[in-house]
Amino acid sequence: MTLILANDVRKTYRLGRVDVPVLKGATASIERGEWVALLGASGSGKSTLLHLLGGLDRPDRNTRNNGNGAGEVVFDGRALTSMSARELDRYRSESVGFIFQFYHLLPELTVLENSQLGAMIQHGRFGWMKRRRNERARATELLDRFGLGERLRHRPAELSGGERQRVAIARALMNEPALLLADEPTGNLDRATGGRILDALAAYHTELGQTIVMVTHDEEVANRAERILRLADGVVEEG
Amino acid sequence: MYQALLTRRYLLSKVMPLLAIAAVMLCTAMVLIVWSVMAGFLTTLLDSGKTLMGDVEIEASLNGLPYYEDLRDRLEADPAIAASSATVKAQALLGVLGGSMGVQVIGIDGPSYHAVTGFGETLWWRHLDEPLRKDLNEEDLRLKIPEGFEEFGLHLTEVDRETGANVPAVVLGINVANANFATGGGWIVPFVFMPQEEVTLTVLPISRNGAPINVQAQRFPVANEMRTRFYEVDANFVLIRRDALQELLRMDEAQRIEDGFEFGVIEESEHGEESFSAPRVVGVDPARVSSVLVRAAEGVSLGELKERVRQVYAEFVLAHDDANPKPPDSSRIIIQTWDERPGIRNFVQAVKKETALLLALFAFISLTAVFLVCAIFWSMVSEKTKDIGVLRALGASRLGVAWLFLRYGTAIGVVGSILGGVIAVLIVRNINPIHEWIGRALGIVIWDPEMYLFADIPNQVEPTKAAIVLGAGVLFSVLGALLPAARAASLDPVRSLRFE
Ligand SMILES: Nc1ncnc2c1ncn2[C@@H]1O[C@H](COP(=O)(O)OP(=O)(O)OP(=O)(O)O)[C@@H](O)[C@H]1O
Ligand SMILES: [Mg+2]
Repeated sequence: MTLILANDVRKTYRLGRVDVPVLKGATASIERGEWVALLGASGSGKSTLLHLLGGLDRPDRNTRNNGNGAGEVVFDGRALTSMSARELDRYRSESVGFIFQFYHLLPELTVLENSQLGAMIQHGRFGWMKRRRNERARATELLDRFGLGERLRHRPAELSGGERQRVAIARALMNEPALLLADEPTGNLDRATGGRILDALAAYHTELGQTIVMVTHDEEVANRAERILRLADGVVEEG
Repeated sequence: MYQALLTRRYLLSKVMPLLAIAAVMLCTAMVLIVWSVMAGFLTTLLDSGKTLMGDVEIEASLNGLPYYEDLRDRLEADPAIAASSATVKAQALLGVLGGSMGVQVIGIDGPSYHAVTGFGETLWWRHLDEPLRKDLNEEDLRLKIPEGFEEFGLHLTEVDRETGANVPAVVLGINVANANFATGGGWIVPFVFMPQEEVTLTVLPISRNGAPINVQAQRFPVANEMRTRFYEVDANFVLIRRDALQELLRMDEAQRIEDGFEFGVIEESEHGEESFSAPRVVGVDPARVSSVLVRAAEGVSLGELKERVRQVYAEFVLAHDDANPKPPDSSRIIIQTWDERPGIRNFVQAVKKETALLLALFAFISLTAVFLVCAIFWSMVSEKTKDIGVLRALGASRLGVAWLFLRYGTAIGVVGSILGGVIAVLIVRNINPIHEWIGRALGIVIWDPEMYLFADIPNQVEPTKAAIVLGAGVLFSVLGALLPAARAASLDPVRSLRFE
């Protein structure tokens, strides 16, 4: 069953007067429970495609909707472009988890607070007050699982790169998203540390059937996934 | 929820917001101090100004008000009225220390006037047990004045040095004779000790039908000087015993003679003696006053009092309906509360306008705080662009991000305003010691007691004013945060995430 589908999507950036086409009709279909690697050279548009999948950005308007859903990103049967701003916010909050190359933790918050940030956003003030005990227990459990049980009160600045990325993964998984989007999660780490991050993702994938789309330009990293998609010249190719 | 958490963390971990807090703090403190001192100034001034006015005045036209003792009896029988006093007002020329000047004289009956206005408290020359705080060399003349000295002023009566008889005397406003120097410490050094002097009062009596009669002049000893701390009064007013002024103004009781009588006609009597013709006495002209002052009983408002006085006066007119002359009817007198008097009203309005102007100026200056908060927040939004992108990627809405910064602005406003309020209260409460200290350390005297009439700067902060100023401080901070918050909300999440 297809969880998310990018159907012939196009994305063009305008630089002054020049149009820079980045995605020229990329099509990719990801099944529920799959672990897919998106491989491509730097500047090929991997991050761009990932942002489209995550509802952070929209595909070009003029190529969309010529009757057959072309130019659309469709999640669980529903086109993201048909969603209101509020529904898109909820989509990002509930269905998607993002992991970034540079972790992007909030420096003022502790490890525990960073990992709970997505849950706080999702539940709002009163919802959060009601479940804060539960959520706290879950965050602690997740962090424990990633070997950070002793570091709950630390600030990101006091952690190593690998540790930071594990906090970011905990944050992304906190709301149990259907889709985990990882943009070069090991790109900033040495091979051994990166390997352990991938191990953690793999464990989560095999045990709980987490759907993962992982962007990388590293063949070896891509090989950890079940399926590889290659992005080149603005289109996606299988294998 | 994340907004509250981040606000707390941002407040404690950043230097910039501390600057914003400091700006809000200084602005609120500044406005609150100015407002409190100015308002306190006005209240003190009015309290002093009210000294000679009573609560409500019944004012008659130039022709005067007869049967005033009956009117007073009727007034004082009313439970809303605590005391009343009849006075005579006139313009006069005062000859003093070899010069002369125009003054306002009030003829009063000392004890009842004191009961209504408390003017006895303003009599300056009286015995003082202890020197004032700043009077280290005991220069205050009052330390040497015998006890009970103010009784002469209270009764406006002196004992004539030659005859030993009681004679009417005057009380001068402390600045009338220009014979005194007010020191910074609150006591007065006289160049000439006026209670040992005499003055000449010259008045122009007006007959019952409004025509001037011969100019009258008389010398009076000075019994005391009064200090109401209200400059208009202290520089222009002279009090005198009422009977003396009534006599001068021909407002005392007199015989009325037949109409059309010609003076200077020589008549021959039955016995053949010649004499000037004598007018036939046809009645008595009662003594008159120009106004009756009334003091309200405890807990009676000015409005209620005025209404009661109006009714009593109407009854009074009715009761004297068949008298000759009749008292002026209600339409020909003015009944007004003390703050309705034109002089006071204009003055109060002037001071209020000045205060408003000053406040507007300072509020305008406080707008800089809005811009400061705005600038600081603007740069914070730039600095936090990536975090904003992360929040959006985690599902935060635009409104949620805007609220983060608005909330943060509110927090800064609340903290800054409260600190500013505390500082303002501390400064205003201790404004006099602080002022003294500045005077000693830097030789600068900002508050000139001569100019402002009070030895002390008003030092009270009204809670309502504090609440208004603090509220405005919060509002200004929120206003300053508005634009950056809108910018944060409008940021494109992808661009924010790519932002270096
Ligand atoms: N806001 C933008 N305006 C103009 N061009 C942009 C913008 N964002 C991205 N691009 C361009 O789009 C292309 C694709 O960028 P993208 O970040 O998706 O590549 P990538 O495959 O993720 O590369 P990398 O591996 O270096 O992260 C790049 O050439 C980039 O310069
Ligand atoms: Mg990229």
